[in-house]
Amino acid sequence: MAALRVLLSCVRGPLRPPVRCPAWRPFASDTPFCLLAPGANFEYIIAEKRGKNNTVGLIQLNRPKALNALCDGLIDELNQALKTFEEDPAVGAIVLTGGDKAFAAGADIKEMQNLSFQDCYSSKFLKHWDHLTQVKKPVIAAVNGYAFGGGCELAMMCDIIYAGEKAQFAQPEILIGTIPGAGGTQRLTRAVGKSLAMEMVLTGDRISAQDAKQAGLVSKICPVETLVEEAIQCAEKIASNSKIVVAMAKESVNAAFEMTLTEGSKLEKKLFYSTFATDDRKEGMTAFVEKRKANFKDQ
Amino acid sequence: MAALRVLLSCVRGPLRPPVRCPAWRPFASGANFEYIIAEKRGKNNTVGLIQLNRPKALNALCDGLIDELNQALKTFEEDPAVGAIVLTGGDKAFAAGADIKEMQNLSFQDCYSSKFLKHWDHLTQVKKPVIAAVNGYAFGGGCELAMMCDIIYAGEKAQFAQPEILIGTIPGAGGTQRLTRAVGKSLAMEMVLTGDRISAQDAKQAGLVSKICPVETLVEEAIQCAEKIASNSKIVVAMAKESVNAEGSKLEKKLFYSTFATDDRKEGMTAFVEKRKANFKDQ
Repeated sequence: MAALRVLLSCVRGPLRPPVRCPAWRPFASDTPFCLLAPGANFEYIIAEKRGKNNTVGLIQLNRPKALNALCDGLIDELNQALKTFEEDPAVGAIVLTGGDKAFAAGADIKEMQNLSFQDCYSSKFLKHWDHLTQVKKPVIAAVNGYAFGGGCELAMMCDIIYAGEKAQFAQPEILIGTIPGAGGTQRLTRAVGKSLAMEMVLTGDRISAQDAKQAGLVSKICPVETLVEEAIQCAEKIASNSKIVVAMAKESVNAAFEMTLTEGSKLEKKLFYSTFATDDRKEGMTAFVEKRKANFKDQ
Repeated sequence: MAALRVLLSCVRGPLRPPVRCPAWRPFASGANFEYIIAEKRGKNNTVGLIQLNRPKALNALCDGLIDELNQALKTFEEDPAVGAIVLTGGDKAFAAGADIKEMQNLSFQDCYSSKFLKHWDHLTQVKKPVIAAVNGYAFGGGCELAMMCDIIYAGEKAQFAQPEILIGTIPGAGGTQRLTRAVGKSLAMEMVLTGDRISAQDAKQAGLVSKICPVETLVEEAIQCAEKIASNSKIVVAMAKESVNAEGSKLEKKLFYSTFATDDRKEGMTAFVEKRKANFKDQ
């Protein structure tokens, strides 16, 4: 495992970039973009619907001068876009991506630099980061370039991670005197095992996309240019299934991290029984027996 | 990871195959099985071999098959000669899923009231180690059955999938729980939400199976592993299995202390010190 300890001093960028990113697109109604909220303009992200029938919500973190450092404003806009896609009946799955050079190189250190313990505790600092974990629709992280610190934690909050060939993952918080605060120590350990997680968290060293695949953190590696397209294709596959049953499947897989095997199996069994109360289950099995394509209605 | 979404339309076969499998052998005291073959194997008949035998339906797991599987497991569990069990299917399919025709017209009320699929749990209650030898397709309930076993050996052409989402349901026999623990969140989510399958090589790399064997020698190698296990103290093997399955170190410590109440522990350590082979009596 080749690991270089490099503090990206260039990560720190201005809190509010003075100019809008040239690639900024509003949430608009002209093809191929679709209106997410009437006239919503985002400063730090781009959000649009993709896929053959606009069934995929694509969110691109768009703060390139700061390598997508996760400032408050960006997280707010991310949450708005997630909420809108969650409520959109056409959208079946969501893809979250960054730029080619960086998915997100960390939280915004300038915002945190002068906080006290009292500030953090009283304001429940970072609590708004949890929104991503509450989304019922599946979220695929398409990670090109750096996913460091908060960026790595953001990717790990997603359900599936696809990595570009040059992606790198790290939890370097220890190098600036703190620890991961948004689930990094928990999700990384569950994904890659104790030894590698300890090594990453205690040294700040980074791992490559290949290391990440081998360790089980990501499930697929793609060329840099086709990463987002392949993630969208995976999202389209998921979106073609029954949304309500997909939500139950996602809930069930996540339960494996929250309870014992016995309790998790009980929950899975109850959710499995629940699928028999849906129209889509009946349609799916009938279509199978009749050797035809199922026509799901998300009911 | 190559993944193809293919709905096996050929999985569905008749509930009761009209002819018995030509390689049928009677079991123990003459019990005749319709959907499985059960026999003892290994040098001293220390391995119980159960072969799912419903080839026309690619071993689709109907009620009758599960019942017979449970009977065979019970018999091997109670047989003092058997130390470990191997569960296998055909070359083409380990088990391509639950029997959809049996489930198609069930309502939520039917499922809940009858505790649908509860008899599938029997395999998880077996104290003796069970090795799944998976050739071909292990899809849906077939994948879940393999994952209930303690060890999985896969043939080179084995494929694993949880495609329940494609027919509008989710895994109901531990698939979302065991798969996630075995291969991690990203791959488990991808498999469960898309229905895509993974190869034996993907499965080995991800930690789902511990060994890949040529198709022709898979069952023999699984039997050899079972023989190795069966040559150890049965009572201590049961404690080791319970410990691996448990979610805590306290339990392991208690089981470890318990081994010091067995004759086999004393015999095993004494034999080691005296540089001789241990003679376990399962006490």
